[in-house]
Formats: sequence, structure tokens, C-alpha cells
Amino acid sequence: MILMTIIARVADGLPLAASIQEDEQSGRDLQQYQSQAKQLCRRLNAQSPDRCTLETGELNFHYLIAQGVCYLSLCEASFPKKMVFAYLEDLHNEFYDQYGRRVPSVTRPYSFIEFDTYIQKAKKTYIDSRARRNLGSINSELHDVQRIMVANIEEVLQRGEALSALDTKASNLTSTPRSTYAKVAAVAVFFITLIIYVRFWWL
Amino acid sequence: MGDMVVQWIALVPHSKKVLGSIPVPVDGGGTFLCGVCMFSPCLHGFSLCTLSSSHHPKTCTDRLIVIVCLYVSFIFHPCRPPGGPGPAQLSPSLAAMSLQSSTPEALRVVNLLQERNLLPPTPIPAPMPCLPQDLQKVNCNPEVFRCTLTSIPQTQSLLNKAKMPLGLLLHPFKDLSQLPVVTSSTIVRCRSCRTYINPFVSFLDQRRWKCNLCYRVNDVPEEFMYNPVSRAYGEPHKRPEVQNATIEFIAPSEYMLRPPQPAVYLFVLDVSHNAVETGYLNVFCQSLLDNINALPGDSRTKVGFITFDSTIHFYNLQEGLSQPQMLIVSDIEDIFLPTPDSLLVNLNECKELVQDLLKNLPNLFQKTMETQSALGSALQAAFKLLSPTGGRMSVFQTQLPNLGVGALQSREDPNQRASAKDIQHLSPATDFYKKLALDCSGQQVAVDLFLLSAQYCDLASLGCISRYSAGSVYYYPSYHHQHNPAQVERFQKDLKRYLTRKIGFEAVMRIRCTKGLSIHTFHGNFFVRSTDLLSLPNVNPDAGFAVQMSIEENLDDMQVVSFQAALLYTSSKGERRIRVHTLCLPVVNSLSDIFAGADVQAITGLLACMAVDRSVTASLSDARDAMTNAAIDSLASYRQSVLTIQQPGLLAPACLRLFPLYILALLKQKAFRTGTSTRLDDRVFAMCQLKYQPLAYAMLMIHPALYRVDDLTDEGALNINERTIPQPRVLQLSVEKLNREGAFLMDTGMIMYLWVGRNCNPNFLTQVLGVPSYTAYLLPDLDTAESQRTRAFIGWLRDQRPFSPTLHIIKDESQLKSSFMQNMIEDRTEAALSYYEFLLHLQQQISK
Repeated sequence: MILMTIIARVADGLPLAASIQEDEQSGRDLQQYQSQAKQLCRRLNAQSPDRCTLETGELNFHYLIAQGVCYLSLCEASFPKKMVFAYLEDLHNEFYDQYGRRVPSVTRPYSFIEFDTYIQKAKKTYIDSRARRNLGSINSELHDVQRIMVANIEEVLQRGEALSALDTKASNLTSTPRSTYAKVAAVAVFFITLIIYVRFWWL
Repeated sequence: MGDMVVQWIALVPHSKKVLGSIPVPVDGGGTFLCGVCMFSPCLHGFSLCTLSSSHHPKTCTDRLIVIVCLYVSFIFHPCRPPGGPGPAQLSPSLAAMSLQSSTPEALRVVNLLQERNLLPPTPIPAPMPCLPQDLQKVNCNPEVFRCTLTSIPQTQSLLNKAKMPLGLLLHPFKDLSQLPVVTSSTIVRCRSCRTYINPFVSFLDQRRWKCNLCYRVNDVPEEFMYNPVSRAYGEPHKRPEVQNATIEFIAPSEYMLRPPQPAVYLFVLDVSHNAVETGYLNVFCQSLLDNINALPGDSRTKVGFITFDSTIHFYNLQEGLSQPQMLIVSDIEDIFLPTPDSLLVNLNECKELVQDLLKNLPNLFQKTMETQSALGSALQAAFKLLSPTGGRMSVFQTQLPNLGVGALQSREDPNQRASAKDIQHLSPATDFYKKLALDCSGQQVAVDLFLLSAQYCDLASLGCISRYSAGSVYYYPSYHHQHNPAQVERFQKDLKRYLTRKIGFEAVMRIRCTKGLSIHTFHGNFFVRSTDLLSLPNVNPDAGFAVQMSIEENLDDMQVVSFQAALLYTSSKGERRIRVHTLCLPVVNSLSDIFAGADVQAITGLLACMAVDRSVTASLSDARDAMTNAAIDSLASYRQSVLTIQQPGLLAPACLRLFPLYILALLKQKAFRTGTSTRLDDRVFAMCQLKYQPLAYAMLMIHPALYRVDDLTDEGALNINERTIPQPRVLQLSVEKLNREGAFLMDTGMIMYLWVGRNCNPNFLTQVLGVPSYTAYLLPDLDTAESQRTRAFIGWLRDQRPFSPTLHIIKDESQLKSSFMQNMIEDRTEAALSYYEFLLHLQQQISK
């Protein structure tokens, strides 16, 4: 079961298209996962691995980065990985075809929300277990699916936080205290000189 | 959510306890209870009258001048002081303005008993607030945003003394011909009160601006320094946000809880025997077929249909089917969706199936004998269908729901319609519809109700479904496809507008005001989610809102106050947008200035909203008394506190000269009248309209416009798009203005009457109506100058409002003559006073 699909620009994490998840049907509250997905989109950059599976409890995030666009989906852990990546691959082919050239220039969030229609259709064909004909092609295309990196979502999100925290600390160190220390030192030197001068002025 | 409901309800009623504690005016003249205060708690601010003298406004401004001068000399900025007009410049110009305006037209003393022709010959414009030129130039359009008092009193005690209601009237989603739209990654807002930057903020310097609502100093972000319009850097005060009081932002992703929803339209149709009998299905299906390509939306737009009688019928419209499938659910006690994902379908992909269904639907139920109506269950099913996405539910109902949940009983006794006794059953009979509406509101579903019925339908109960879900109610009494062609025409035209007009989804609106003022009661269709956040699952361009305000802290140091309404919505194209309106008004400290700034139409509109609430929570006679008292109290207060020379007669300032007339018009309005036979549903519908209509349309409902049209000339005519539109003068609503030789047009907002006198000028009959017999409902298109003039004038009136009113041509002895004559407000009827008698009554009460 694919619960959520988000397409975002890697450069700044701007969401480009998404499929509204149906809370009613799955009976889950996806709000928390949605904010995780948003954070994740912002964390990703050009250095991130281009295929990755992130575990978060009983659900898994899977993403695929291609041509500067990230395709992220949230699935149940039991849903076959092959299928998910075939689905993301399929989204990428269609999305790149339709909007690829306009991706770098847009500024509005969800500029290509109309792609939702395609996402929903694709989702339907991939989650339909009776549509076995899909599997044949998937087997041949994605034999290397086992090599896809697996990580934990918390680690990924926290790693980013730790890094940014370190960054701010470092910049604090370099910028703020300099002037106060310098002033204190200058005043101290001045007073010491004065005392020495007063003490030994007759010499 | 339960708490919220209670909280909201707690805001509305006006406990009589408050009455006891209203401070009686010092001069001891207030023998009458304050009509305005009866509506609103007015305890606030009374204890705040004493002030520490160290904090004079004057010293404050002096200090500011010094600061500004220092700044100018220090930074060597080119001669213009930073940003917009700072407070330092305001005070002298304001003082000058109020000096000029203390004598002028608005305060001219009018003796209402002596001057007969008070009605201005042209529609009344909204009064201009007394602001310096440069602020007034950028101020919000009064059609969108106006205040009952264009000069805000400094303290609550001053407001209590003036005895006029303080409130705002809004038309936030009005169709605008020109609207600046800004796209930027950061929207500049105040960091503490979240106000959007607007033309009335002050720039302390290039890098800092001061919020005009909470006075916090904020930084100007780097991006804001660049002006995209002039492509110049370093001019933050010339950005479009600071130049326009009405502006729209494209929202960044922080303003979205979920991806923007698609446009979703679900139609819920009554197909019982009664409904088929009225023949509305044909009109509906044809109208939707005609406008199916004009429905607002994009490639994601979804539609769905549900029909119901004693069972609920769903329609499977999945792509690939050769024809629509009907699925019947007869278990109305525990409703479920027979198939979850093919009932709401993509309009573009399944258009042929939808069209197929619309063509067949009227024939499908041609021979039905089912008379029962399970509306409650149908609504529950529709809610289930829409709740994953949100959207708009349009419900068409033709009779009292009498089966399953939400079943209602007839509560109206036709014999009591005209009795002078108090009107019962104005409040809902069950809370089923309200509860369901709140569920809908939570899932971003709005319910619009079309009621087409000859019988009593208990609109007071049914209307709740739209009221709390921010929908709208349309009512077509005695709709029948053969017997009532005028209603059919109106239904057709309304549907066209309804289906094609702009729509905003999953919206919220927040109204902020300057520190010291507080908003306490809201009027309109919505649900109040938190104290000042209105939840609007749908917003449409024909919705109006009103709010009441009180002054919590004295506004001594302030020259001006501001109000800001921000509406966040998803457009039908899936864009999240924020529309922001900001209104700026001066603060005054004398009663005469408050009276000079009174906006009589806005006051009437707000009083009407308050009176509707009052008649539901207390009683109709209470509401009527309160309205009369509002007129008595404000005029008495004017006489005692403002007038220096006491003259005999009923004196009013020129700006309030129409106030007694409008109050009388309200008392004779369908919503509040007594003594005249009025069907309960008609009355409740009029009440809904008064609360929900934007002021311009509500005013026509309250006080219709009467014109003489048999002698139209081009003199003083308007010229719009090469068309000459004659401008006859507005006549008083009195039979004395009619005469048998003329033809008169009465515009009541939803209906226009063209009354043709018995001895009407034969030239008019032949040249305009085309024939000596004039029973037709349409004006023929004749190629004569007179006909063109008449049609141009009527067309112009129609163009000014969203829903086209139907035109009834009535003869002297026609049946409709009575409804035409009922609008003759200034005349006496067996149950109500004439205008002159009403004035005498007011005078008597004032001089008591």
C-alpha cells in the first residue's frame, strides 16, 4: 500500500506535486509522517544517495533522486521494495517528460499539482496485486534493488540537525566574543601600565 | 470541538444582566434603555476613563517630531521622511481635516418632521473617513470593507454615549476588476501579532518598520528592499504591499497543512415524487450540461452525484464503463459507500459518462411514486464521500425530510401567520444539521442548500447545514416548471452564476484590529474555530460578513486605527493564496466627530444582523423594540450632547437623516414584520439573507429603490462602454409618488417589479412593451429609443449584482400588486405606522 507520494525539488526542497493521502481509508493519522517527509525533502542535497529506503516504525520512506527532483513515497514495510522503486521510476519518467524543463524556474509550491492525476493512476496499477504483468518488467529492470541503502529516518533527520547545530556554534565562536575580549584586554593592559607608571613614576 | 461550539454560542446571547449595569449618561436624559447596548456587552472600558495626565498625546507627538527630525538630519536621506506618513505629520493635517469637517454637510441639522424629500436622487455613496489625503488615497474600497463609524471613538464610554453600534462589514471575496498579486518566498508580517505589512505601517528607517496594529518594530527583510515593480533597490515603502490596501499573496508552503485540494463538486438531488412534480431536475441537468466546461477547476476537478428519496442512490462513473451504474443503498440507518473510489470521478476523464448521466437522470425517476425523503442519510453519505478531500456539496431539496435521521415535523400553523403574537419556531428543531455541518467544516466540506418548495420545509432547521459549513441557502418558494415560470427563470440564472462563479476551498479568515479594540461577535455563514479565526470550507464571491467590536482600552495616543482581514484559500486551480484587506480610520474624541462619521447604511446592516440574532435567541418583538430603541437612543444622544441650540422638532445630523427611515424599513421587512401574513420559511430566509448578503445587496432588500421609467431621458445619463444608461431619480417608497399615467420600476434586489399604471402613456406601451397588453415577463427587444433606454437601465441595474433579479411586469389589477405595495414603506398599513407617524413616535420618546 502506498500511502503518500511527494515530488520535490532537491535544490531547496520546494514541493512540486503530491498526492493527497486518504486518512479515512487507511485509518492512520499521517500528519506526523507528512512533516517528516517535508523535513526530509529539505535535508536532501546533491550529495545524498540517489536511492534510499528510510525506516520509520512500521512504515518506510523510499526515495529516488533524478535530474534534481526527489520522488518520495511512504509505504507499509511489507510492500515490496521492487515495486516501490519501479513506481517511483515510472513517476520520474512521466514527470520529467511533462515538466522536467520547468522545474528549475518555478517558485510557487505545488506548481505541478495537476500531476496528482497521474500519480493516482500509477499508484492504482502498482498496488493492484492482480496486475501481475507489471512484475515481469520489474524483475529484469531492478535486479540491483538489494543494493539500495537502508537507513533510519530519525538518524537522517537528526544528523542534519546535529550538523546545523555545530555550524551555528562554530559561527558563534568566530563572530561574537571577539570584540568583548579585545576590549577587556585593552582596558587591563591600560590599567596595568597606569599602575606600573604610578608605582614607579619617580624612577 | 465541542468546547468551541459552546464558546461560540456563549458569544452570541446578550444577557439582560448587562442592561442593569449600563452607565446612565451624566446629563440624566437617558430614560430609554440603550438599544445598541442591549445587543452588546458594553461594560468594557468604562472604568478606564480616568487617565494619567503624564501621558498626553501632545507630548508624545512632540517627541516623535524630534526623533524624525534627528533622523533626517543624521542620515542625510533625500528630503522625504522615511516610509509613509509618520505619526508626526498626521496630527496637524488631521486637525485641519476635522476643523473643516465640523461644519460640513454630514453634521447639518435636519428637522426630519419638516423636510419631506430626504432621499437623495441617486444611490448613497459610503461616507469618506476623515483622513489625510495620502492615507485616504490608498485606503480600502468601502464596497469591500467598511465600518459603521468612520471615525472611531477614543473610549468605550464615548461610544456608549453615542449609542451607535461599532462594527465592520466585509465582502472579502468580492469579484474585483483589478487585484495586485504578489509572489515572493517570504511574506512580510509582524513578528508578534502576525499582521501583514500594509500601507498604514510606518517605516522608521530603511531597515525597520513599525506594525500599525501592535506597534512592534520589525526588521525589513533583505528581499523586501528590492521593488519588483520599479526594479529598484532600497525602496521598501514603494513595494506593492505598501501601496495597496487590497492585495493577494501566493502563499509559500508554510501556509499549507496538506497539498492543495482539487476542486470537488458533489450534487445531492431530491428525486422523490414531489421533486419530480416540480420539474426542477430538467432545469438542473440542462444547466449543468451547459456549464460543465465552465466549472472552475483544473485537470484534477472531480464531480459526483447522489440522488435520494426513501433510499440513497449512488452513481458509479468510473472510466471505462459504457454507461453510468446506479447503486442503491436502502439501509439508511447505517449508511455506507457501496464502492469507495469510483463515485467521485475526474471530470475531464469521465466527462462523457457524466453527460450521459445528466441526460438520463430526469427520465429515470419520471414515474416514481416514492413520497418520502431521507435527506439526513443522504447528507451523511455525501459527507462520507467528500471527507477525504473536502469540497462543495450542493443539495437540492423540495420537501420536509421525513425519514431516518434528521427527520422534521411541520411546525408552522398557517392561521398564525398574520397574528401579531410573537413568532415561534425561528430556532432549529433539531441539532442534527448543525452537528453534521460542524463535521463537514472540520473536513473542509461546505454545503449549499437549494430549497424549492411550495410547502413549509423548516428552513430554520435545514439552514443550519449551510450556516455552520460556510455554504449558502437559495430558496425558490412555490417552484413549479409550469405554474411559476418566473421562479424557473430565476433558478436557471442563479444556477448559471452558482456553477461558474469563482470559488475558494479550504479557507480561513482572520480579522485583526489595532491593540485596544476587540472583536466579539461575528455574523455570516462560517464556524468560529478559535476566538478570531473563521473556518470557511468554501468561500464564494457573494458572501458577506459582519463583526461587532468594542473598545477595550482607551485609544488616546492614537491618531488612526487599522483593521485587517486576511483570507487564506485554495483557488480552483490548486494555488494557495492569501487575500489581505486593510482599512484605516481616524480616532476622534468628541461626540460631534463621531456623529459626523456615522455610516447610516452600515449601521442599518449591522443592526439587521444583530436583530436576527436577537429574534432567534430572545423573541421577534424584542428585536423590533431593540431596533426602534437604537434609533431613539442615537437621536436622543445627538440632541443632548451635540446640539448646542435646542430647537423643536425631530433633529438629526444630515448623515443620519435616513436612519429612522431605514429602521422603519427593517420593521416592515419580511424578516421582522408583524401583522402581515408572512410564511415562516420566507421570514427565516429573509433573516439568512440579511446576515449573509454583502451590504450593497442587503440594503436593496431593506429599502428597495423606486424609479419612474416611462419618461427616461438621456439627461445626466451615464456612459459605459458606448452605452448610454439613463439615470432616473430614486423616488420615495410611497403611493403618493405613483400615478396612473406612469410606469414605475421597483428594485428589491432579487425581484424587480415594473408597475404599469392603468392610464399609462400609450407611447410607453407601444414603444417599450411592444403591445397594449403587458402580461409578458420579458421586455421585448424593440428598436425604439425608449425601449433601448429602458433596457439599458434595467440591464445596468442587473449588472451591478451577481444574481440576476427576475422582472415582473404588473398591471394595476394584477395579483402581484400586493407584494409590490407591501414595499411602500412610507405608507401606513393596518398593522404598521406610516413614516410620519413613526417619526412622531420617535420624537415623543426622545422628548420624554
